[in-house]
Amino acid sequence: MTIRSHLNVLGIVATALIALALGYHNAFVLNLVFVGLVFAVLGQSWNWISGYAGQISFGHALFFGCGAYASALFAVHHGSPWLGLLAGAGVAAILAVTVGFPCFALRGHYFSIATIAVAAIAEITATNVDALGKANGFEMPILPAGLGTLQFTEKGHYVLVALGLFVVAQLATIALERSRLGFYLRAIRLNQEAAASVGVDARAAKLTTYAACGALAALAGSLYAQQALYVGPEDTLGLPISIAIALVGVVGGLSTVWGPALGAFVYVALARYGGAKLGGTGNGVDLLLYGALILIIVSWRPDGLAGIVHSIRRSMKRRVVEPST
Amino acid sequence: MDFGPLPQLVVSGILTGLLFALISVGLTLIFGVMDVVNFAHGEFLMLAMYLTFGLALIGINPILALPVVSVLMFVLGALVYRVLIRRLLAGPPSAVVFGTFGLLVFLQGAAQYLFTSDFRSVPNPPFQGTLHLGSVNLGEAQLVAGFGALLLTALVFAFVEYTEPGRALRALSEDRVAAQLMGIDMQRMNALAFGLGIACVGAAGTLLMLTYQAYPRVGTEFALTAFVVVALGGFGSVQGALAGAVLVGLVEVLGGFYISPALKMVPVYLLYLLVVLVRPQGLLGRR
Repeated sequence: MTIRSHLNVLGIVATALIALALGYHNAFVLNLVFVGLVFAVLGQSWNWISGYAGQISFGHALFFGCGAYASALFAVHHGSPWLGLLAGAGVAAILAVTVGFPCFALRGHYFSIATIAVAAIAEITATNVDALGKANGFEMPILPAGLGTLQFTEKGHYVLVALGLFVVAQLATIALERSRLGFYLRAIRLNQEAAASVGVDARAAKLTTYAACGALAALAGSLYAQQALYVGPEDTLGLPISIAIALVGVVGGLSTVWGPALGAFVYVALARYGGAKLGGTGNGVDLLLYGALILIIVSWRPDGLAGIVHSIRRSMKRRVVEPST
Repeated sequence: MDFGPLPQLVVSGILTGLLFALISVGLTLIFGVMDVVNFAHGEFLMLAMYLTFGLALIGINPILALPVVSVLMFVLGALVYRVLIRRLLAGPPSAVVFGTFGLLVFLQGAAQYLFTSDFRSVPNPPFQGTLHLGSVNLGEAQLVAGFGALLLTALVFAFVEYTEPGRALRALSEDRVAAQLMGIDMQRMNALAFGLGIACVGAAGTLLMLTYQAYPRVGTEFALTAFVVVALGGFGSVQGALAGAVLVGLVEVLGGFYISPALKMVPVYLLYLLVVLVRPQGLLGRR
């Protein structure tokens, strides 16, 4: 896709969602859209390191939880989550560099398992620290609504804030695809030795990307916590969250600008909506369908939903051209 | 001399470790032969546990169920290889990671849907007695599970080391191309290794039901432990898995007692990070 068509799609999506957020007042639907946007951002953050750079992470909840806890703590103790939101992003970026510095020496599954181990350590720690509310987590106070407290009476306003972060993530990805760093990452994914031999500093490229991933996922975590007004270890740091983030990325299509958004849309439709329709959430139907979807996609369409959309577009274009030839 | 609770802890740690060994041997066998890290390994453990529970409901106790479950899991493993893994191996390297990960999500979802999230334990489990050896108390069930796992691990080792198909598996793990040139049917052997690996984790699931409960997410924790064990022992090594498993069992039980039960997994995960960063070939492995 050209930069122009990326921006056109982004413009259309953003306009449609703004209209929806302001004009449609069904709390259930708006909540789905909000969760979808948060997961689109998380999936995009995951896509940077695991898609473009090819370092598969199964512990991305680490950063999500970091942001959620940081803004929640500031909301409780200082009455505003904003500093916490920034602090969470900063801490997540530092954490990413700290974890990445040793772990990027690991290849393939060694790295993937290390990410699970680090996130598990974080979850166990949060479960045992008094200040973080241990296993129960903690609730946040209801503050006067407004942008200063990031609490809103209208569900639509949460959608707008999440949309803002989503637009930033999409613009960053469009820029990444065209930047030197983006080319470095793809070179590293395809063949790290070859990339290094032509002067790509693989570790620096991966660390920079991972720090940005951490910060972005933490921001998504902060927004999520602000909307839920609750944080708990399992809900923010648990393996199921890490799995959901990777699901969104894989199903949507790795190393594509729009893959994570498509994956998140399907995730929310299946997990939150489908689950509710097929007899309550948490009965496993969502996981069952999603697992089956991953299996179908990796076996037949490794480029994910974005790849499928791409081939449909191409065949449509061909059909338009055909009559004139 | 009085060692306090130490002897008890060491014995518990070793017995726990022996079960980890049987789980990990399955994982390491699959990895050694076809370079596949089976992220769904724990879910096969979970399936075997439910299978054992189901058999117990119709009056078959876990010891009698052991061969039945092992054979069924072998067939399932070989089938999963034929239908899924073989296809994934033809794709990019990440396909196997995502494929087995998809299988994890699918099986966990299926279990949650079919069996709900309730904890299930075998009704009227056998071996309820306790043996007293000096200051050490041993649950009979724990002993049977531990030694059963040790016996089966030894059997797998003997199979890989001393039989014709075992030699073929080792040949494949050493040099895939050369082994095929010597007339080894790789697809057949891969299916055998995957079936055998799943049969191991299946047998471990049955033995585990003597002392533990089945629930949809039971596999995750054990699979993580198995990853640590296999990293310690060196990916692909059966003896390494046994040594690593006993070490992890000890670390878990001693850490749980001397630090805090809630934190017992932290030293295990730190051990993983330490080993892969400092000695990526594993404690016993050679480069």
